[in-house]
Amino acid sequence: MKINKMWIPVFLLPTVVLFLMIYAVPLVMVFATSLFDYRLNAKDMTFIGFGNYSRLFRDPDFFQALSNTVMWILIQCTVHVALGTVVALILYKRPKGWKFVRTAYMVPNIISNAAIAMIFLNIFNPQFGVINSVLKAARLEHLTRNWLMDSRTSFVSVTLIWVLFAGYTTTLVLAQALSIDDTIIEAAKVDGASPFQRDIFVVLPLLKKVIGTTMVMAATYMLQMFDLIYITTNGGPGKATTNLPLLLYSVYKGENNYGYANAIGVCIVVIGIGAMALINKALKVNQEEY
Amino acid sequence: MKKKWIAVTLAWAMGVTILAGCTTKNPDQSGGNTAKDSGNSGEIVINYPTFQVGVNTAAPVVSQLVEEFNKEYKGKYRIQLEEVPGDANYVDKIKVQLGTGDLPPVVYGGGYNLLDLAVAKDLVLDLTDTVGGDPEWKGLYSDASLETNSRNGKIYASSAEGSIIGYFYNKELFEKAGITEPAKTWDEFFKQCDALKAAGITPLAMDTADSAWVTQLWLGAMAATANEDGLKFMETMNPDDYNTPEMIAAAEKVQTMLREYTTLDAIGGKYENAANNFLSGQAAMIANGPWMIGDFEDEAKAMPGFSDKVGSAIYPGGFVYDAPIQGYFVTKQDDPKLEEAAIAMVKFFTSAHAQQLGLETQGMIPASQTVEITEEAKRKYPLLADFLNQAEEAAIRSDNMQSTMYSNLLDVISQELPRLYSGDLDPKGFCQSLTDGAKKNQ
Repeated sequence: MKINKMWIPVFLLPTVVLFLMIYAVPLVMVFATSLFDYRLNAKDMTFIGFGNYSRLFRDPDFFQALSNTVMWILIQCTVHVALGTVVALILYKRPKGWKFVRTAYMVPNIISNAAIAMIFLNIFNPQFGVINSVLKAARLEHLTRNWLMDSRTSFVSVTLIWVLFAGYTTTLVLAQALSIDDTIIEAAKVDGASPFQRDIFVVLPLLKKVIGTTMVMAATYMLQMFDLIYITTNGGPGKATTNLPLLLYSVYKGENNYGYANAIGVCIVVIGIGAMALINKALKVNQEEY
Repeated sequence: MKKKWIAVTLAWAMGVTILAGCTTKNPDQSGGNTAKDSGNSGEIVINYPTFQVGVNTAAPVVSQLVEEFNKEYKGKYRIQLEEVPGDANYVDKIKVQLGTGDLPPVVYGGGYNLLDLAVAKDLVLDLTDTVGGDPEWKGLYSDASLETNSRNGKIYASSAEGSIIGYFYNKELFEKAGITEPAKTWDEFFKQCDALKAAGITPLAMDTADSAWVTQLWLGAMAATANEDGLKFMETMNPDDYNTPEMIAAAEKVQTMLREYTTLDAIGGKYENAANNFLSGQAAMIANGPWMIGDFEDEAKAMPGFSDKVGSAIYPGGFVYDAPIQGYFVTKQDDPKLEEAAIAMVKFFTSAHAQQLGLETQGMIPASQTVEITEEAKRKYPLLADFLNQAEEAAIRSDNMQSTMYSNLLDVISQELPRLYSGDLDPKGFCQSLTDGAKKNQ
């Protein structure tokens, strides 16, 4: 059927208008106000050029938050996505009860982050939490600690809250795997490939794009991560679990410094775009393959 | 041709649907902050957002005051409550409105220091002449209240409530540890902590999260009673140097308290954890104000008869927190009639009658020294009466740290106390972190 291309812009127009009003204009405003000394406790805004950005490079809290954010993106893009992919590959073999496992593995992803945070606050509770109780029962009392508030364990403890539950990755990868043409797998079988070889050399390469997509999703999820950290540690102890969104919030709410908070916001956007470009380029997510 | 028209219609419908959400509402539906004439009556409506609704302890008082005000000024002024559940949400809302310069006619400053932010933006009405011209209103201002609500010699706000804070102890647990009365000195206090610990009792209920309200009360009390410099520090608004010998010594003691004398969940725990530990009889002492007295009798929070086990005390060294809570202020409006209405509301809400009502309904301590603590209030809140008697003996008084510190330090103190506990920070480092945090406000 011949499509009249003239109508494409007409139907795109509402979306474009919506995007401009809801995302583009605020983004421009965020960048514009980040060039001002814009505080709640000052009568007027003063233009300071890139003053807020130069403060970023002198602020140890920013570097700590940046380092935590990048670390979490890397962990999410590797460990989290790998776990989800492995589970998907196992389920792809359709073992007994695979549909139940697929649903069960998805459950943590449908619970709100606030509820998950509360659950883990209890799990990690130093007084009555499961972890310390199990350690005590196993006569490993010397290993008990305040998991979320000990500088040595807080980062790992917070990471464990989300890194193991890769339901979305599993669902997406599994859906893609199930759509692979059986003839390709049969051909590999005829060529004498073992099940492991078929997974690694046939199935996995065909999942490259969807894995890339899940990595982009994982990275952006980490750039937005706020509620889980806010409820469990509020970025502490010290700045051990502060990421960029949490730092932005504390600058906005605590220091009432909107200009500096917006400069951090611009950094988050830039890092997000950078991470997406990097992942897309590395995994050629947007390129057609023939 | 028909298809073309269908396509155009669909595209137009999509656009209209999207843009419909962006159109300006009727002002009457906008929930804005400005006054509205209700019909032709000429009645000025004061839109008053407040978090003192629902389960908030002050809700009954505010509700009754609104009802009485609306009755007294019927046909002239009317308060329309806008419910904003949660004080943090309220503060956020006011800050956003401060940013846009569109504040409601009356703002409750509370313990959130909203006044300075609004004064800096030149959005607050100067009440100096109005208060000065009204001897009854002026008479309700104590020196402390005047100081709390004035900036650069101008009166900007009016307080209804005071804040006298000591600590509570569990008499039964004290008895088990052989303690007969609250400590008079800090040395005695720590010996009592040792005695409680030796008897298998956790001496203190403490917290570190959410600004560490309970813990910072102990910290401030120790700093204030150290010497004159310590008290001067506690009386300073927005101090920017915490590297003082008094603060470092107090931080050292707090480090010991967190390590030796409190529950495991104090580190990272919120006020609720601390309160629960005290209310469940797991900890012997908690620093807090009289507003907690209601919890002792609340069987949803404490065991029946728990209130009989509780005693109240002022801090060792004869110290009590005693400062009026920053009050209500009127914001600049386009309509002078609305400003007049807002002034009438603030005057009503901070009147002797309102303060009396707060005392008898909620156990709220009046801001004004001229408002009598009635026998009825003493009968209803015996623990409060007992505490107020003790507070009269206190030789040293100051505001609490949370009210005087820069707001960003509330987060800093929450984040650094766990590091003070673990030893990642020594007391000097802890004070340096607070100093560094304070400097970010300059």
